[in-house]
Amino acid sequence: METVRLALEAMATRFELVLYGESVMDLRAAGEEALAEIRRLEAVLSFYRPTSDVGRVNRSAHRQPVRVSQQTYELLAQAAEMTAWTQGAFDITVAPLMRCWGFVRGKGAWPEPDALHDARSKVGMQHVVLHRNERAVSFLQEGASIDLGGIGKGYAIDEAAKVLRTCGVQRALLHGGTSSIIALDAPPQEAAWRIALPASHTHACGDPPLAVVPLKGQALSVSAAWGKAFEKDGKSYGHVIDPRSGGPVQGAEMAAVVHDSATTADALSTALMVMTPDERRSTTEQFDKLKLLIAYGPRGVYAEGIDLHAPAQALHHHA
Amino acid sequence: MISRRDFLKTSTSAASLLGLSRAVEIRPDPALVHPRPTSDIEVNIGLIGYGPRGREIASTLQRVPGAHLVAICDNYATMLRRAQRDYPEASRHEDYRALLDNPDIQAVIVATPTHLHKDIALSALDAGKNVYCEAPMASSIEDARTMAAAARAVVDEQVFQVGQQNRSNPQHRSVFQFIRSGAIGRPAMARAQWHRRESWRRTSPNQQRVQALNWRLDPNVSIGLMGEHGIHQMDVAYWVLGALPQAVSGFGQIMAWQDDREVPDTVQAMFEFPSGMNMMFDATLASSFDDAYEAYYGTDSTILFRDRGKAWMFKEVDAPMLGWEVYARKDKFYKETGIALLANATQLDAQNQDPTEDDPNVETPLWYALKEFMDNHEFGPYPPAADYQRGLEATVIAIVANNAILQGTRLEIDPALYTLD
Repeated sequence: METVRLALEAMATRFELVLYGESVMDLRAAGEEALAEIRRLEAVLSFYRPTSDVGRVNRSAHRQPVRVSQQTYELLAQAAEMTAWTQGAFDITVAPLMRCWGFVRGKGAWPEPDALHDARSKVGMQHVVLHRNERAVSFLQEGASIDLGGIGKGYAIDEAAKVLRTCGVQRALLHGGTSSIIALDAPPQEAAWRIALPASHTHACGDPPLAVVPLKGQALSVSAAWGKAFEKDGKSYGHVIDPRSGGPVQGAEMAAVVHDSATTADALSTALMVMTPDERRSTTEQFDKLKLLIAYGPRGVYAEGIDLHAPAQALHHHA
Repeated sequence: MISRRDFLKTSTSAASLLGLSRAVEIRPDPALVHPRPTSDIEVNIGLIGYGPRGREIASTLQRVPGAHLVAICDNYATMLRRAQRDYPEASRHEDYRALLDNPDIQAVIVATPTHLHKDIALSALDAGKNVYCEAPMASSIEDARTMAAAARAVVDEQVFQVGQQNRSNPQHRSVFQFIRSGAIGRPAMARAQWHRRESWRRTSPNQQRVQALNWRLDPNVSIGLMGEHGIHQMDVAYWVLGALPQAVSGFGQIMAWQDDREVPDTVQAMFEFPSGMNMMFDATLASSFDDAYEAYYGTDSTILFRDRGKAWMFKEVDAPMLGWEVYARKDKFYKETGIALLANATQLDAQNQDPTEDDPNVETPLWYALKEFMDNHEFGPYPPAADYQRGLEATVIAIVANNAILQGTRLEIDPALYTLD
């Protein structure tokens, strides 16, 4: 059995691909086609490219409906659904708040009340109208914008995995920036791909992992806000914005989600970072075959369907 | 205090008064760059070929006003399933003749492998359709000549546009005028490269499909790197330089992909122009270093095209001042400084956008080419910028160059090949 590894720089991160099969030539051809699909999706979904669907929507959707490709529309509809299912904790319109809190490039800073009020008025999926028949998007609020950064990588690897299957590849692992991972069948003689979750952001090679997730025919998404914080009046605020309150919350340090769809896993892992335990319960029970692990730093770890490497740390551990 | 934008405004008019009007002249008609968003006409389009290029065309058509993609044809079921998912409203066909028989379809876009263009394009013209045919127009000179003759026969009634899309791109048009007006001084030489690390292999669990998919690696029909990429760069070159090449020397090697292929993965070609100027071209599938670009070297400055028609000028220190370049955006390229040539700086200024920034409204070259195709339904038929004649010329250049590459020799290009009759 042969192995081929390929990589691509796209969506401001590195995508990597490991393929097992009979022919190096065929594996490489399939891998190149999967990576080409990711590159193509980047051109359509990029927040920064003026010619992307997202760029055109953000520029003009407050004036008139903007037509988008079927894939973009499908993803936007899925994002809207995830906002509803997560009670607003996942929200693709959150960019104005991120900028307002200085989280886009800076270290974070307490905004002026006017600026915060202005940013909050632009955030929320109620400002976004999806026109199904026309496959178009419009905004009801000037200054509203969409950013698929929290879900685009997952969608890209979902689509790339479809390309691999169409090309006849059966055993493969594909990840974007190590935070969105999708697995086809396992390597030869293995039951599953084994993905280690780090115990902290200072995790070094050889340190015991927090958990090892077996992955086969499913996707894993990890959101993290390790150690990022800023202080105001002696109180520490994390780099996680709750779109509903408009401010930073002392949420989780890391949330990992296993699901059939990498897109769904991406959105859920983002949402779980800011959710309360009650919200988490009512959200996660809507999904089949879901596994999750949430690390709250010194406050412990919550896991469901994922075994901890060192169970003593567990806050609530469901086997 | 005077803002930079106001200063630019003032200085532009001052430059005109002083007779330094070139800075204004190189900017195309703003209506060209920002066409009005709505269209009075609606055109029903059939797309033949739903591979990667066909998908790119389909998704671009979604934002071209008046363009309705109503039918998609592909002879492979997997591609048609994909078409159903992407455009459920479009009808799907395995045989392109079924699409041509539909009287509601006015225009056909041909995006199949190159060697299949001829039969489809001829049938489409015969069926009275307007035709947009991807470049290269054909994989043999005979086919290209047959197609050009067929297009010429109906030139007063039907549109035949070739996918030499840079000819419709306002960015290219603007720099074309700039070079033609003498801004680089005396042209000395030119070079173009296309570098990417990829195998060109395609795969499928269906063995028959594998052969069809790998037409680029089939020496019987492929024009190689010259046909897939060099044709677009040489198209711009002979347009900008105003003359067709009269000879080409070529070399080709298989350096990276030792998989029993016969089509070279690395090529070099040297084109000779009537003025005595030469242009070098190289392309490889072995290395991605420095991507793709074209450079035109003159005695006063060098102009570099890259990133889909973006352009920069690199001046010699003793070159005459043009006036406006003082205010233009400068980009660093290692130790060189490039002066950004923006197609539409005055238009951006009028819209209160910073004219030293890239235009956020600018579209892709493919979009401008398809827009020109749509406009032709409204106002034409008139000869498109990339008409049958340009299609024939570029195809001849690509095919003779590929022959020179395969033979490792110098070939003269018979001028008669470039013209019909």
